[in-house]
Amino acid sequence: MASGNMIEDERDSERGERVRGGGLWPFWTQIYAEGDPLPDLSCKVDRPEYNFDEGDDLPEDYRGLLMKMLRHEGERAGNKSFLGLMGTCIEVAETLAPDAAARLIKSEYLAEELKHAIMFHRIAVGLDPDFALRDVPYAHYAFHLPKETWADDALFHFLIDLNGAFHARDWRESSYVPLRKISRTVERDEFGHSEMGYHFLRAICAERRGRALAQTLLPKWYAAALDMFGRSDSPNTPRFIQWGLKGVGNSEIRAAYKTYVDRKLVALGLDLPDERQGRRFL
Amino acid sequence: MSAILDEIRAAYQPLGVAVEGVATYGTYYRLRCARCGAALGCVGDRLLPGMARELVDGEMDLYAAGLAGCACGHQAERAVAIDPGRAAAAKARFA
Repeated sequence: MASGNMIEDERDSERGERVRGGGLWPFWTQIYAEGDPLPDLSCKVDRPEYNFDEGDDLPEDYRGLLMKMLRHEGERAGNKSFLGLMGTCIEVAETLAPDAAARLIKSEYLAEELKHAIMFHRIAVGLDPDFALRDVPYAHYAFHLPKETWADDALFHFLIDLNGAFHARDWRESSYVPLRKISRTVERDEFGHSEMGYHFLRAICAERRGRALAQTLLPKWYAAALDMFGRSDSPNTPRFIQWGLKGVGNSEIRAAYKTYVDRKLVALGLDLPDERQGRRFL
Repeated sequence: MSAILDEIRAAYQPLGVAVEGVATYGTYYRLRCARCGAALGCVGDRLLPGMARELVDGEMDLYAAGLAGCACGHQAERAVAIDPGRAAAAKARFA
């Protein structure tokens, strides 16, 4: 453990706070202390300025797009499929984690995702109580890929949780006020989850066989992660941007994401896959 | 979802991996070693058509080299039985 972390641990101890995740959790603090780690995703096109809060009458098109966005997001206490996904995270940690310290870090991750489930549940209740209780399985295949090694789990968190961080970053200027209010918390948490995956990945790649394993699995997760931003020519994108629900289009956010992850993957000594290999949604 | 589940089961069966009933609510399934019953991981049922076979085939080398699959060695043995040449090359590559 770095001496800086030890000092922090002592401060936490003095305040009576419990050191979490072996002193590593939350992973976002150190990186955000050095500045904003994510790229600027603010809107660059002229558009009307909207602000809608809970209880406001929402235009039909706006409401439809907002609900679509929240269905994809999925982290709701009333969404049984989300809780199912969290159950698999516990199982994967039990089955594949290298040691108890890694399992403890994963438990911090689960706790934080369940915090998000409360936050998004409240947003959902404010929009439509029926929706808040609806089971909406994750539709994207990225959430269903097999996890059979600890490297799978590390790549899932590094790449897929980072996708969540980029989307939450985009909500900083959302026209839907409740979403804007939680954006910074969700962004930094998801960024931290990605850093957790990177932490595990760094340990895996430190050893030759581990790096070969990660290299073999990388194309599966890389393609899924790039696909998660949707089609570049999605007809809904201009409507999302005009209503202030998104700042940038799918191709722009995907390109910013790719620049970010490529740099981190190269730092691990991994070769980057062809960005079109295995892709389903270009 | 049964067609996709059937496809996932068919993809894993030759390797000696059983796709168990629902692991958690609804959409996720536990993978187990067909020989000793050890838990191996999980998979969801929203894979796209054709994807399960492609993924399993793509990771055959990992099973052969013992980087994926059960500690009892069942999947490594199955990978050798399916394609001895590929398995030998994989073992050499990941040694």
